Amino acid sequence: MVISASHLSKYYQVSQKEPGMIGSLKSLFSREYETVKAVDDISFEINEGELIGFIGPNGAGKTTTLKCLSGLLYPTNGAVSVISFTPNERKSEFLRRIALVMGQKNQLWWDLPAIDTFLLNKEIYGISDEKYNIILEELSRLLEVEEILKTPVKKLSLGQRMKMELMASLIHSPKVLFLDEPTIGLDVLMQKKLREFIKEYNIRFKATIILTSHYMQDVEQLCKRVIIINFGKIIFDGQLSSLVEKYTPYKKVKVLFREYADPKKIDKLGKIDSYTYPELILSVPNKKANSTASSILKDFEVEDITIEEPQIEDVIARVYTENKK
Amino acid sequence: MLRVIVSKVESMKKYYLIVRNTWDEMLTYRASFIMWRVRNTIQLLTIYFLWLVVLPPGKSLLGYSQPLMLTYILGTSLMDSIVLSSRTYIIGEEINNGNLMNFLLRPVNYFLYWFAKDIGDKAMNVCFSIVELTLIFIILKPPFFIQTSPFYILFFIFSAILSLFIYFFINFLLGLIGFWSPEVWAPRFIFITLLGFFAGSLFPLDILPKTIFEIMKFLPFTYLLYFPLKIYLGQLNFPQILSGLAISFFWVFAIYFLVKIIWQKGLKSYTAYGR
Amino acid sequence: MGDKINLTRYIKLWWMMTVMVSQNSFVSRFGAVLFFLGKLIRFVFFLFFLLIIVSRTQAIIGYTLWQIILFYITFNFIDSLAQFFLREVYRFRSYVVSGNFDYFLTKPMPVLFRLLFGGSDVLDIPIILLSTGFIVVTLSKIGNISVSEIFIYLALLLNGFLIALAFHIFVLSIGILTSEVDNTLWLFRDLTQMGRFPIDIYQNPLRSVITFIIPVGIMITFPAKAAMGLLSAQSIIFAFVIGISFLFISYKFWNFSLKRYSSASS
Repeated sequence: MVISASHLSKYYQVSQKEPGMIGSLKSLFSREYETVKAVDDISFEINEGELIGFIGPNGAGKTTTLKCLSGLLYPTNGAVSVISFTPNERKSEFLRRIALVMGQKNQLWWDLPAIDTFLLNKEIYGISDEKYNIILEELSRLLEVEEILKTPVKKLSLGQRMKMELMASLIHSPKVLFLDEPTIGLDVLMQKKLREFIKEYNIRFKATIILTSHYMQDVEQLCKRVIIINFGKIIFDGQLSSLVEKYTPYKKVKVLFREYADPKKIDKLGKIDSYTYPELILSVPNKKANSTASSILKDFEVEDITIEEPQIEDVIARVYTENKK
Repeated sequence: MLRVIVSKVESMKKYYLIVRNTWDEMLTYRASFIMWRVRNTIQLLTIYFLWLVVLPPGKSLLGYSQPLMLTYILGTSLMDSIVLSSRTYIIGEEINNGNLMNFLLRPVNYFLYWFAKDIGDKAMNVCFSIVELTLIFIILKPPFFIQTSPFYILFFIFSAILSLFIYFFINFLLGLIGFWSPEVWAPRFIFITLLGFFAGSLFPLDILPKTIFEIMKFLPFTYLLYFPLKIYLGQLNFPQILSGLAISFFWVFAIYFLVKIIWQKGLKSYTAYGR
Repeated sequence: MGDKINLTRYIKLWWMMTVMVSQNSFVSRFGAVLFFLGKLIRFVFFLFFLLIIVSRTQAIIGYTLWQIILFYITFNFIDSLAQFFLREVYRFRSYVVSGNFDYFLTKPMPVLFRLLFGGSDVLDIPIILLSTGFIVVTLSKIGNISVSEIFIYLALLLNGFLIALAFHIFVLSIGILTSEVDNTLWLFRDLTQMGRFPIDIYQNPLRSVITFIIPVGIMITFPAKAAMGLLSAQSIIFAFVIGISFLFISYKFWNFSLKRYSSASS
């Protein structure tokens, strides 16, 4: 068990200010505070090598949780343990093994080539020359940045810069990786490449990775297990496939008839969403989808038939709305 | 034992890299930096010419002849590069824009990191200062006082090093304001304004009325520029040098401890709320 | 008739923009107060510095204490007046970098007007008032100043402001062509601060720079000297000639730069 959170809670005191001039004057003398429960009694355990998706709407508590796990925030209540360390103590040995990558914060020296920052990080993390060269070569190959290592960072495009930021964060081959919205603001091709890279890194380095993202393709492609968090609480922790099963146990079967089909016969097939000849949309339980489709093909004259997978977005949206207080 | 020393030296390598990176970084802004140095020189020359006419040859003011005064004024330029070249005020911005986070995640000593950056900054500024002073000597040919006693020179260097640390910690302290206020420039502006007078870059502090000067002897600012230069000019006797050094030492440690305490407090509140 | 209407419109626009900018600075009141305090401290301390020097040395190249103070206050007045009206120039670089400058070009307000006068902050006014008060005090302490001398003093102050204006226009023109604004602007400030003292104290080559390139002497030393009756009639006329020519040349240069900018792609 590499990461564990036990009844983790993080509360903030937010000061309230009334609008306008009177409010400003008032706030000079007395302030009212409201407690915001960013994270409220969550617990989970993550094993080595897992690639977990951490999803939730904005303000759900994802980033706060990541910050608690990486030691940037100390918990209000509860305990956190990462590779047997208490993150908040920020021991050197702990920091050497983790990395937190948040989209907007840059650590690269702006005017210098990225490789200067890598060399600096090499010294900061105490990486040996051989290890450094191996990692440098591997990462630059995986990310396809061999050509631009010596270009000043300010001259790179956004996508290239993000790759360099990622490299700088990985040069010490962390065993635990926290990625906060890593693909935000990137074009479709870059997102795909980054996803492949993360997958590769997870397998190759046996790294434990927690990933937050709003892009469902990230979650679908990378994470077998997801933790859904909303209003600071965990509302789902388990396999993505069982999530789908739980919330959308139905698949949509779309049929395009070549010949007119008797509505009475169609009724027996399953739950009808809509039928306007020639198009029929059925909701069929996941397990029965294939057999229903083949029986339709057998019994009717069909132009085209498709089985639609439930969209993860719909699944997640449903999870959010069902758990709204 | 040797192994401990070797590993200590190895861990210092990262700070050496920071010094070098800062130097390289400054080089990419050559043009802007040169303009900044030009501006600095103009301000220096303004005060230089003022004293040139206030103290014509032969006239003296409270023990300062023209050569001594001009040496002092030109000396402040070099001391400025050694002592007052510092970027630690940027800490305030880093705290406010969240970049501090990057350092909290890494096994880097924040103090040493900034000290290394300052060394890089000072190195570049000292180089330019030397060039500028050389040009001033060639073009304006000021009467200059050259200290020959190694005793004074040694104490001058020692005092300058202490000054370096005093200012480093003061600036660091100012940067820490960022933990509690988004307003970092205004306090700094006031500080710079006060420093302009109290550190002695416009005039040697001992021409002030006696009562005021006696008070200033206990302030840290006096020991940033004025005190080291005064030693160089050979105008202090041994007991005076010792007492001045003692006060310098005091301020180095006093401000250091203040910085440490406030840093811990600030960090605690930063990690309570994050940013 | 058409010109008159234009003037009122400009004044009205200027007033509106000033009110908006000033409201903005009240949002960070704390910072604003500190800045003002800093300027006040600097002003007082520098006066104190002059006092100390003169009290120890009786005079600086023949000028008495109050005469020296007049030079300094005149500098302060012009400096703070220019900063009040022309504060927007300090923001110019950010407009170019962010692309906002192009927006200005599409609006029906003359671009130069917007760039020069669009950012006056009322928090600069206290210092101007302070300088004005001190000028009155200083002039009375020097004594023996005739009405005509005061009149010429004021006219030359206005002339000094026009030269400052010319230079800010020049800075903007360079800024459009090269995106380099801050350094030229601050160079101007640094050269003008040499005017804190009568420029007689400076030697060549520096003296030539502030006589011919940026006429600091004409901006600051001349008005003060005129008030003290130390300026010849030729010099006075010369001053106005320089002031008007600089304004004219800088305006022409601005038009040239703007045309250059609009014909090239940004």
